[in-house]
Order: sequence, then structure tokens, then C-alpha cells
Amino acid sequence: MKKLFIWLSLLLGITFVATMAQTPERVQAAQKTYTIATDVTFPPFVYANSDNKYVGIDMDLIKAVAKEEGFKVEIKPIGFNAAIQAVQAGQVDGMIAGMTITDERKKTFDFSTPYYSSGIVMAVKPGSDVKTLKDLKGKTVAVKTGTSGADYANSIKAKYGFKTVTFDDSDNMYDDVKTGNAAACFEDSAVLEYGVKTGLGLKIVTKPTNTGDYGFAVKKGANQELLNKFNHGLAALKKNGTYDKIIAKYTGKKALSDKNNAANGHNEYTILGLLKQNKSALISGIVETIWLTIVGILFATIFGIIIGLLGVVPNKIAQGFSTTVIYIFRGLPLIVLALFIYNGVPSLTGTKVPAFIAGVITLTLNEGAYIGAFVKGGIESVDHGQMEAARSLGLPFGKAMKRVVLPQGIKLMIPSFINQFIITLKDTSILSVIGILELTQTGKIIIARNLQGFRMWAIIAVIYLLMITILTLFSKWIERRMKN
Amino acid sequence: MTEYKVDVTNLQKSYGSNHVLKGINFKVANNEVVVLIGPSGSGKSTLLRCLNKLEEPTSGSIVIDGQDISLPSTNIDKARENIGMVFQHFNLFNNMTVGENIMLAPVELGKMDKDTAREEARQLLETVGLSDKFDAMPASLSGGQKQRVAIARALAMNPDVMLFDEPTSALDPEMVGDVLEVMKELAKDGMTMVVVTHEMGFAKEVADRVVFMADGYVVEEGKPEEVFDNPQHERTKSFLDKVINV
Repeated sequence: MKKLFIWLSLLLGITFVATMAQTPERVQAAQKTYTIATDVTFPPFVYANSDNKYVGIDMDLIKAVAKEEGFKVEIKPIGFNAAIQAVQAGQVDGMIAGMTITDERKKTFDFSTPYYSSGIVMAVKPGSDVKTLKDLKGKTVAVKTGTSGADYANSIKAKYGFKTVTFDDSDNMYDDVKTGNAAACFEDSAVLEYGVKTGLGLKIVTKPTNTGDYGFAVKKGANQELLNKFNHGLAALKKNGTYDKIIAKYTGKKALSDKNNAANGHNEYTILGLLKQNKSALISGIVETIWLTIVGILFATIFGIIIGLLGVVPNKIAQGFSTTVIYIFRGLPLIVLALFIYNGVPSLTGTKVPAFIAGVITLTLNEGAYIGAFVKGGIESVDHGQMEAARSLGLPFGKAMKRVVLPQGIKLMIPSFINQFIITLKDTSILSVIGILELTQTGKIIIARNLQGFRMWAIIAVIYLLMITILTLFSKWIERRMKN
Repeated sequence: MTEYKVDVTNLQKSYGSNHVLKGINFKVANNEVVVLIGPSGSGKSTLLRCLNKLEEPTSGSIVIDGQDISLPSTNIDKARENIGMVFQHFNLFNNMTVGENIMLAPVELGKMDKDTAREEARQLLETVGLSDKFDAMPASLSGGQKQRVAIARALAMNPDVMLFDEPTSALDPEMVGDVLEVMKELAKDGMTMVVVTHEMGFAKEVADRVVFMADGYVVEEGKPEEVFDNPQHERTKSFLDKVINV
């Protein structure tokens, strides 16, 4: 028991140092650094290349502007919808993600001068009967959250009599069409044209409509300096030809055929090829998942035990507090809690919460509430007579709890602890919604690039199973040690 | 004025609207053995559990060794050190050996160092006839053995008063004798005891005084021969008829 405690304290110490060590890179910049959110998957505007570096028109453009204007950017590929919320919450300074300038969005965003124009087109599976909007009657259409394609689809769905199904990522939307669940999808023409040419496996059946302009965006009324720098830099890039070069690089014929050749040459679509190709990305995803899990489990366990103990002390206020905490945080879906802490709280308080910290807080509260509940339950399920006998001998509550009740309760709790640790590991995947580059988010990004959904998710699934196996063995080892 | 070990005045206890004790006056003198009898639900166990405040009294005073334990200002843990209790279901600490069960309180509360406590525990086990069980786990003992360990555990704190809450009710009949034997020895050594039991034989033989309770009141009390052979109240008569004729 005592040895285990020392172990845990040691682990806690290491974790602390590691968490501290993760942050300083943000502070050291002499030039001003802006944090820019973007989508994970929106080629040719933003996507990860075969080295898992973020490239695309938007990425090259923002970097070129930054160079031109003398500032630094930190790119956060967190998904379109999360990016919108992160800008509004003040978690990031701006976003560039193939975002169409609309009147609706102008209410909450300030946009730069447009840097690209695109229209909405409809894509279907090759061989599909759907050729015009009229053919959609009674069918389902896949769209991506918060995009102009989604707005367009929703504006005409009553007229043409179809339903929409919404996804957070482009590749999930495409997959839904490819598998036949959805009859079609709506997306910006530049994106779909690029996708079709690079082997997406869909075909475009309508002409671009609802043409819109893409703009770089900041929260309305905030970061005007950044916005001005962007406009100034964009004008300069258009003048000196850099802008045209960037556009040609991603939409020119040469660029497209190059990409295909590169893909084939790499032989990256076997499981082994995929593993080799994405080794470094997967490893850093695994490392991030492990960190989240370890730190999350640690804090959740401490928090949970405190909450559980407060639930059994003979004090109505403490018990009420414990019950309330368990009720709230066990009742909230993890994803809601994560978004609330990462996006909701900062927009209220005005302070940024780093994603990793937000993730750990989320896990601590949610998993801790479950742990609190079974700690409380475990203690309560120890025969009441044990406490009475100890108290009748003159032992104070704390001593009776520590020497008699807890040792018996913990034995009952151990299976629940192991179970909760495994759940915590799995739940880290949900934290991909706040843009933490853990294993699931890494998988999404890789798939966004290579569109190998089946093989990549299979790889990711096996990695999770391996990690869970290791965690289970480790937990059983601890369990055995505790019994001695 | 006689100094009583236990002096209960107008004790009331209710759970919501359920009045379990309706004004009990109850005294135990030094070295006295008092046996509480009565039908189930009469409140005798509740009265016993009030004496070391395992139950919080609703009103009234409970003075043990001159100290009113019903007052919030009284350090109840300190008071309990002098009041041993033996439970119907033994309540041995399942996570400890027999020896550790007995040593826990004296060591934790700083009454003895570990070695003295171990020596004391071995002697106590010998007096209850279980000297070979020092390292046994409670789960390996029979009910009668468990109860004798529980008595030894309570005695380890060297209490002035011992409370017994139906100590033989959960035992197989052949185990009852051993436990009663230990209790008789205790009584002979002059321990002040309050015993809730259905063992009328024990009451007759060992008790200095028998208290009959029914419906939350003390109905009748006196020497065992008075209460058993010449009960004054109808309620007592009908209870004794039922228990003794069975």
C-alpha cells in the first residue's frame, strides 16, 4: 500500500514536470505569434501531406502572409466547426479554412478581403441515378457542419424533398456517399474538383452555384491588427505573383498529376505501407493519447476518491456536495463537457485554456465523477457493523475509515477502477473535438489525406486494443501488489 | 448519593414519527450485571445502543461514569474507550487477523505499544479459550469463536462497562454455551455489564437485576427470582409464558 503511494506520487511529479515542459515554446517568440485554427481536411485548401505537414492553399497563404508581414503563426487543425467556436471563444486569434463569407457569419466574424472564389456543386457515387437536384426526392444528402454546402442544401431541401445528414469531417461525408448511405453531397467546387481528380471516387453532376468568396476570419471586433496585416499581406502577395504561384501549385494540372504519382510510388495503401508512411504521426498520436490517459487517470482518481469520501463522511453539506458533483459530471456527455471547458468557459472569462489542460480537466471531472460514485458505493457496501464496531472501541471516524472500512472497500472497488481506467483511455478519443492531436485526431487527419478509411481505422483500432491490453495487464499487476 | 456507573434519565428516542423509547429511567451500579429482556421491538437494543451513542438520543440524559455523553460537548470517542460493546453479528474486522483485531484500538489510540498490545491480546485470547487463533482470519472461525474474539477485542481497551447486544442470537445452539461461559467469568470478576438477551437461563443465573421492557417503556424490574417467579404486570407474565414454555 505504502509503496504504491510512493509510486503514484512519483508519477504525479513526473507528470507535472512534463506538463510544464510542454508549454514554453509558445512564450519564447520574439515576433508576435498568432494562433490560427483550421480544418483538418479540406483539400486543396488545407490538408496534411504525406509527411503529415499541413499544406494547401490556405496554409501556404497564411504562412506567406505571415512572412510578408513579419509575424509567426501557430496552426491548429481542429476541424471547421471547432475552429468557428474556438475563434468565438477567443481560444485562437483567427481561422482560415476555406470559409465562405456570408451575411450570417458577418454578424459574428470580421472577414478579410476575399482570397478565393468558389461555388457549390453536388457530387454522387459513379453510376448513381441522381443526376439533377430533382432526383434527390425522398433521399438523404450528406453535408459537413457549418459549411456553405450545408447552408445551400438546407435552403433547398424543402423544395426538392430530401433529408440531410451532417458530418464534422469531409472524408466522413464522402464515405457516406460512397457507401450509399447518402445519395449525394454538397461541397465547394474547388474542393470537390480537387477530390475527384485525386481519386476521391465521386463525380460532380451539377454546375457551381451560389458562388461565394473565401475569407480569413477573426472574431468580430477583435484582432483587427491581425486582420489588417492579412489584408495588407494578401495584396502584396497578389502583386508580386506569390499568390498565383500558390493557387497554381494546388489547382494546376501538374500539381494534381504529381500528387497521384507520388501516392502510387509510395505504395502507401497496404497496411504495412500505411504504417511506415505515417509512423511518426501515429507515434506522436499514441504518445499524446498515453499522456492524456496517464494524467487524466491520475487526477480523476485523486478527484474521485475525494468526492467519494466526501459522500460518506457524517456531514450533510459534504454529502450534498459529493452527490451534486457526481450528478452533474456523470450526467454530462463527455463531448459536451469538453466543448464547454474549451470553448464555453474561455468565452465567458476571456482566458485561454490550452487544449491539453482542457482535456485533462474534462477527464478529471467526468471520470472522477464515476470514480467518486463507485468509491462511495464501495465504502457503503462494507457492512455497517464494521464501522460501528470500530467506533464502539473509541476509534474516531477517520481512523475507523482508514484502518477498517477503506481497506475492505478498496478491494470491492478494484475491478471498477480497472474498468474506469480502460474507459478513460477510450474516452481520450472524444477529446479530438477540441483539437488535441491524439490518436483518433491523428487518424482523421491521415485519412483526410489518403482517404484510406477502412485500413487506417483498422490500424487505429488495433493500436487502441494494444494500449488497452497493456493498461489492463498493468492494472492487474497493481491489483496483485495491493493484495499483498 | 450512590454513584451509578450508568444513569439514564427520561431517555427518548424516535425515528421520525416512530417512538422507540418513550422516557426511560435506567441505572446500573458498579459491578452490577443487568439483563434487559422483552419482546422484539420493545426498544431494548436501542436503549443499549444509546449507552455508547451508536444511536443519537432524541432527548434525555445518559450519564456514564459521571459524564453526560448525550451532551454535544462530550468527546464521545474518549467516552467509548471505557464502554466495551459486543454485537449480535460479531463485527470482527474482516481485513485483519484475530490478533490484529484485538490490538487495533489499543495501539491506534496510543494506550499501549505494539509489543505490549500483542502480549495483552494473547492473554485475552487465552482467557476466552482461543490461544491458538492469534494469526487466524475471522472468516475461518465458527460463530462461537468469533463472538469470543469480539469479547476479547472489547476487553482489550480495559473498559469499565461492557454492553452485550444479543450476543448469542446469531449462534448455532451448540456454540451458545462457550460464549455464555466467558460472560459468566466476566461477571464473576466484577465487570459492570448490560446484556440484551433471550437467554433466560443466563439471566436467572448471572443477573443481579432483570429489566423487562415493552413498547418503549421499562415495565418492570427487579431481582431475577422476583421478575421470573412473581411478575407483577400482565405484560411481563404473558411474555414470560411465551418464552419459558417454548
